[in-house]
Amino acid sequence: MLYGPLLVWIAIAAFGPYDITQGQYSKLLYVHVPTVWIAYLAYTLTFIYSLLYLIKKNPKYDSLALANAKSGVIFTVSTLIAGSVWGKFTWGTWWVWGDARLNLTAILLLVYLGYLASRSFNNDLEKTAKNSSFIGIFGVIQIPILHFSVIWWRSVHQQASILSQETVSTGDAPMSSDILTTLLISVLLVTLVHIFLSKRFRANTDKLWNDYLNPKIRTKI
Amino acid sequence: MGIALVVYASVQIASNNTIYYFTTTEATTNLNVGNSERIKLGGFVENDSIEKKMDGITSFFITDGNEKIEINFDGFVPELFQEEMGVILDGFFKDGVFYSDDMLVKHDNEYISENGDTYDVKTYSK
Repeated sequence: MLYGPLLVWIAIAAFGPYDITQGQYSKLLYVHVPTVWIAYLAYTLTFIYSLLYLIKKNPKYDSLALANAKSGVIFTVSTLIAGSVWGKFTWGTWWVWGDARLNLTAILLLVYLGYLASRSFNNDLEKTAKNSSFIGIFGVIQIPILHFSVIWWRSVHQQASILSQETVSTGDAPMSSDILTTLLISVLLVTLVHIFLSKRFRANTDKLWNDYLNPKIRTKI
Repeated sequence: MGIALVVYASVQIASNNTIYYFTTTEATTNLNVGNSERIKLGGFVENDSIEKKMDGITSFFITDGNEKIEINFDGFVPELFQEEMGVILDGFFKDGVFYSDDMLVKHDNEYISENGDTYDVKTYSK
């Protein structure tokens, strides 16, 4: 179930329409934009489940928070790689150190790598879950900052095309309709990839929790 | 603690890089840069202004709609460099001409495909 949407997504990204000024490399739009949106979604879910875990102390929510964070990290790495290659062939550089959005995305990745690292700081799963919940809750603050970074700080990264005030209020994206359609289908497919990916991750953590809560089962085996 | 750290990092980045580049109007009207002080200058390449000179030097004008500045560029020209494209140049002023050896192409947020319809977007200059 995971590879189906993944393959379709890669195929439509590879054979989809592209911007004539930027050329073939603008197809990276179909990787760069959906992956970062789903990363935002994943981190938002991590935030919600972390909060729920702290309130209800139900291991289910910790598993869900961690699964979303893992998937989010994968998509953040994807968006950074796709963006970097795209930047090389349009801007003329892999990375711009002075660009707020680029730097903040790198920090976003570091914070959630920190979240994943925090899982191994303590052998007691309950303490671990509690600690990482705090990172999951505070980490989400970065998303609005990142979203508005291209408006607040003048730099190299282009303005938003879809989630801009102009597009949202007029309903007219500065995009050809075939590019827009391909982009939206990509978003849908990446959402599916995320769902199946996080499901797998969740199963792993559920097992850890099961071993933690029922240590006898393990010794019997 | 987490909030403080994130906010601190954001403010740090913001204060160091609030303005990544100057517009041509800012550079001509209210910027006090001595000769040979390096700055970043951004604008759109003027129509019919690109001129390839000897020794690999490219000369052109950039504008933000109000002020235009002559550029003397000696460096790697990105493939996307063309008329009306946004560029950010790193260099210095000398006798009213901006000497640069480092160029970034700043693409706008429009995506127009080969056979796709086009939209009229005038407001991407910022």
